[in-house]
Amino acid sequence: MPGTPVLDDIELIIEDIRGSGGGKPPSRDDDGDDNGDGGNSGGERNPEPRRSSAKKYSTAIALAMLSILMFFMVLTAAFVVLRVDNLHSWAGIQMPWILWVNTVVLLASSGTLEMARRKLQVDSLRGFKQMWALTTFLGAVFVVGQVIAWRQLAAQGVYMTSRLASSFFYVFTALHAAHLVGGICALLYVGLRKFETARVSRFAAAEVTSYYWHFMDGLWLFLFALLYFGQ
Amino acid sequence: MIACGHKQVGLRYLWLALFCVVLGMVLSVVMRVQIAHSGAVLMSERYVALTVLHGSLMVFFVLTAAPQFGFGYFFLPLQIGANEMALPFLSGLSFWLTLVSLLGVSASFFLPIHSGMALWLFSVVCFSVGAILSSVNFCATVTDARTEGMTLTRLPLTVWAWYVTAVLSLLIFGILLAACALLLSDWFLGTQFFAASVTSSVSLFAIWQRWFWFFAQAEVYVAMLPCFGIVSHLVATFSRRPVWAERASVLALCAVGVFGFCIWGFHMFSSALNPYSPLVFSLLASSLGVPASVLLASWLGTLWAGEIRLTAAMLFAIGFVSLFLSGGLSGLFLVRRDAAAAAITDDFVTGHFHLVMGVAATFAILGALFFWFPKLYGRSLNETLGKIHFWVTFTGVYCIFMPMHWLGLLGRARNGGIAVSGTQSPGAARSFITAAAMVTIAAQSVFLYNFFWSLLRKEQKQLRNPWRATTLEWFLPTPIPLDDFGGCPPEVYRSAYLYGVPLAGLDFLPQHVPPERLARFR
Repeated sequence: MPGTPVLDDIELIIEDIRGSGGGKPPSRDDDGDDNGDGGNSGGERNPEPRRSSAKKYSTAIALAMLSILMFFMVLTAAFVVLRVDNLHSWAGIQMPWILWVNTVVLLASSGTLEMARRKLQVDSLRGFKQMWALTTFLGAVFVVGQVIAWRQLAAQGVYMTSRLASSFFYVFTALHAAHLVGGICALLYVGLRKFETARVSRFAAAEVTSYYWHFMDGLWLFLFALLYFGQ
Repeated sequence: MIACGHKQVGLRYLWLALFCVVLGMVLSVVMRVQIAHSGAVLMSERYVALTVLHGSLMVFFVLTAAPQFGFGYFFLPLQIGANEMALPFLSGLSFWLTLVSLLGVSASFFLPIHSGMALWLFSVVCFSVGAILSSVNFCATVTDARTEGMTLTRLPLTVWAWYVTAVLSLLIFGILLAACALLLSDWFLGTQFFAASVTSSVSLFAIWQRWFWFFAQAEVYVAMLPCFGIVSHLVATFSRRPVWAERASVLALCAVGVFGFCIWGFHMFSSALNPYSPLVFSLLASSLGVPASVLLASWLGTLWAGEIRLTAAMLFAIGFVSLFLSGGLSGLFLVRRDAAAAAITDDFVTGHFHLVMGVAATFAILGALFFWFPKLYGRSLNETLGKIHFWVTFTGVYCIFMPMHWLGLLGRARNGGIAVSGTQSPGAARSFITAAAMVTIAAQSVFLYNFFWSLLRKEQKQLRNPWRATTLEWFLPTPIPLDDFGGCPPEVYRSAYLYGVPLAGLDFLPQHVPPERLARFR
């Protein structure tokens, strides 16, 4: 591709996006972020640079949930395969009663989380913080409740290694609780952080956290049903 | 420490892959020596550990890491006009997890088999978590961080390939994690998920195989898909023609992802599956030929009547097409139930997957390296040395892996009771393979010399877009500024492959130059 004077001339206008090339005029995106697709198009200054940030976090959490779902679906497949394969020799376990309480607590936490978001929508930061703290507390109560469930099972003499049903019970509940602890960390982060200087708004952070929390809620209902009816 | 720029993470992944590919090649020499002089070098347990180390290094840290995470982290934001990955924290974190995983996998080789396997499993867990975090990051970046005008139809095929691969990785590494979780639970907590199945009708082997192949078959496409994108990109750039049937190619990339996820069962024809399932998996696996053929037709269609420039990068891309075709054809034999059942461990399978997955993908990686080196380091790799390296390697890999196919067929003929004349021939073939492997691996020193010599020699004049490419990364100064496009994100006006459009001596239209600017030169 031998260079020609004309070619050089064209090269000058296309050589460098940051120079005189095809880049858009500098924008004042305080976020340092690029625009999301369909975000701040049109060239005018959009005073909501944070929206694209929130969108990418929502996308990321949705994708992470997809991967977590795949993870638990494989464990479910393992349960189904081994359950069907040991149809007659399967020894079930007596579900600890506290699991029902835990389930109600977790469902309630989803409710309080939504109430917290409503409070935020009507600009009641105090109300938001109260409901958010309550959600975090209920989440912690659920995890403690799961530990109590394990102790109840152990009191019956059913340990992790006792039989397949108990192994699945401990593994499912432990892995779900581990994921839920991640959710509690997110709740604490959103609840305690000052968002004045943050890249993402409090509302967006609360929204992203709520997706994950509701997902954990739904996942628990599924796992509990699987363990309960699988016995 | 953890959060760092996408270019830095990309380069780290590429260095990691380079280290691992050299180590993996040394291990393959040791294995060939072991096969040639059976029992003379290593104990059998050590040999198995060596195979595991070779496979792990090559599959995880080279074939998965280099095309997807190495080039992907570096070039994906640049090609879509973003200043950074959507979640920079995850970029750094996933790299460190990968490094920890590499250390664990390497250390596991030196431990006794029981503790070595446990460490290997932990390392794989680390790698899987890192891969999932990276995939989340890639998907979020492509979905939400594209610059203005960079619509889905204007995305370079490389970006499409990284995107589809990321979605596939999200799903399959979750599967591997779950399988590892159960295995580790058996190992350390005393559960009996796999031990329980020994006594039942489902064998331990079969139940582990289900999850393993669910991951591992799709993992092939995690390694191959970015290579498809890279090769399409290189073929178009060096043929100076738009990608032929670009939309069909995009659909084919997506289809490879979908089929690749669904065909895991065909690895298990010889184990306990539902009697009807082989038919389904066989059909699905055969269906993979459709998108593969579309991609092949697209590459050949782009080359057809193109103004082909046989640079080293283009040679490696064409080499990839050749190897993909050869390996793909031998794969057709393996989707047949009866053939695959007899071929779990034989040389035919070894030859097939090394050709199509290992070597073909390595060619794509090398092509990408020759192509993007000026952008990575601001200087070029030597073309002559690159071409010498290509021809010796290209000839060498055919000399290694084609006889392996033949050995596999020979072995099967024997098993089937067919008389084969010349009892010495397998041994002679094995010696030939070993000799070819030595020569081919020795030829890689040409590449290493070229790489380090190019890297260390005195700085060249800055190369601006030496290949006359259209995508955004070539229109940034080299070295690329820390904040990429800074405060002036580019706007994209056209697709990524507008080559062969005569414009005052220029035969390509950059994606970002506004039409009114170009109009002056018409």
